[in-house]
Amino acid sequence: MTTAAVEVEEVRRVFEPRKKPPVVALDDVSLSIPVGEVHGLLGPNGAGKTTLVKILSTVLLPTSGSARVLGHDVVGETKSVRPHIGIVFGGERGLYWRLTGRQNLEYWGALYKLSARETKARAQRLIDRVGLAERADEKVETYSRGMKQRLHLARGLVGDAKVLFLDEPTTGMDPLAAREFRTLISELRDEGRTILLATHDMVEAETVCDRVTLIDRGKIVATESPRTLGRVISRFQRIDVEGVDATVLGEIRSLDGVSGVTEVNGGGARIEVDEEGATLVVLARVVEAGATSVKTSLPSLEEVYVQLIGDRGLEL
Amino acid sequence: MHAFLAGFGLELRIIRAAPDAFIPLVTAPVFALIFLSIVRESGRPDLQADALMAPVLMTLWWIALQHAGNLITGDRWQALLEPLIATPASLASVLLGRITALMGFGLISFFEVWAIGELVYGVSIPFEHPGALVLTFLVTAFATAGTSVAFAAVFVMSRNAYTFTNSLSYPLYLLGGVLVPVAILPGWIQPVSSGIFMSWAADLLRASLKAPPIDDLWQRLGTVALLGAASFVLGRLILFHVMQRMRAKGELAAT
Repeated sequence: MTTAAVEVEEVRRVFEPRKKPPVVALDDVSLSIPVGEVHGLLGPNGAGKTTLVKILSTVLLPTSGSARVLGHDVVGETKSVRPHIGIVFGGERGLYWRLTGRQNLEYWGALYKLSARETKARAQRLIDRVGLAERADEKVETYSRGMKQRLHLARGLVGDAKVLFLDEPTTGMDPLAAREFRTLISELRDEGRTILLATHDMVEAETVCDRVTLIDRGKIVATESPRTLGRVISRFQRIDVEGVDATVLGEIRSLDGVSGVTEVNGGGARIEVDEEGATLVVLARVVEAGATSVKTSLPSLEEVYVQLIGDRGLEL
Repeated sequence: MHAFLAGFGLELRIIRAAPDAFIPLVTAPVFALIFLSIVRESGRPDLQADALMAPVLMTLWWIALQHAGNLITGDRWQALLEPLIATPASLASVLLGRITALMGFGLISFFEVWAIGELVYGVSIPFEHPGALVLTFLVTAFATAGTSVAFAAVFVMSRNAYTFTNSLSYPLYLLGGVLVPVAILPGWIQPVSSGIFMSWAADLLRASLKAPPIDDLWQRLGTVALLGAASFVLGRLILFHVMQRMRAKGELAAT
């Protein structure tokens, strides 16, 4: 049997702030990530993503349950876990601002018991890889937010980790840098690394992840590939049509499985179905009615997210 | 050893990059001038060497409290503690490396006060027992580093570590016999002072600058080293338990 890169079994984490009621950050979470997978952890703020990443990184203890990284328990076998993991937490902190990017990387590399020569060579490779070569010898305090984020990523890689935990790694990156980051993630997967990517960026999760776990209020809502998750609510498929008159649209509105028909500007309409099989019936009717344009579409991961978690806006 | 060297190198780079690290090297010559003026005006030229050594010890103590003692707290507030804990390196070893670099830096004050004494008053440091002097400094720096690990472990538990360290400096100068020998302090203070390695180190330092042979040199050096090592071991234990507690409570990162 192959050991999973990450195995989480019924992990519960309760925080007990002073003079406040306890907060359940993770509620019996179970998850298995095979070696070499890029796994997205998707959820709104306060969902428990960072808590799970911290537990797996050995910096936070679970209240109950167990978690293993490459077969090693993250509570009892931290010495076996730590050489194999790299972590990237979001935000601007987590770097020595008065030192240069290169000096930061050399320090973190030395903590992985590399020789001085190997540390320097690896730091240079990573500086090139994350595109910081021109500014590597300048103090971090002069870096933009996106540059700091790239340095964070390099720091997470300096130990040549087999398992990477990335918590909101593209925070502050401009779109171009974020796209390059996604390319980098693909390269890391090709190198056989396992990546757990905590994010609330749908596009990011959809683009780079093999599977995505939706998490909300400390509970796992679903774990599937981004495409399969889309199919989960494929019964909510949309059909955009043009060239169909109002009478026909009225007929369609009364068909079984049609949840809504919305006329849009320019003579078109969006038909929404909420039952499997209804799409075919609708398509047959609109073609028969002489539709000039018909387009069906699966929901995006964002729509899945909103459907499963609910559109809570800023509410936590 | 990798972790120690990583910490040592890191701190040297931070010192070089941060001008505020040099504050104790600015105050040491000032204190030397004050103390020299006092003993000279009091007609006690025999205490001039003591007046020169006091600022060196004060510098080491100041660095131990203000810099070394706040290393973990500073890393915690800058969100550097969590990634550090998640590496294979031992936190205590990294810390000891950083503190050792700070102690080495603090010993520069010895040359400063030497220069000040010569340049301003023409007073030189009497190297009566140079070997003992060097050994005492090295063992004192080691013991201060060990004690600093304990400080750092304790201070990280406090939300007002800086107030704590500010308040502690002068009482410790007194109890450590830095300027005034413990032997002339009130009798009830002396048992407390004897548990502080600095009081032994300060006496030994003064003795190494005077002509008479030093009584029980090795025994006294051993006491300084033992007290420093005990502080380090205690500091490691405290550090381990504090880190476990912070992992359990989710307090490794300050928010």
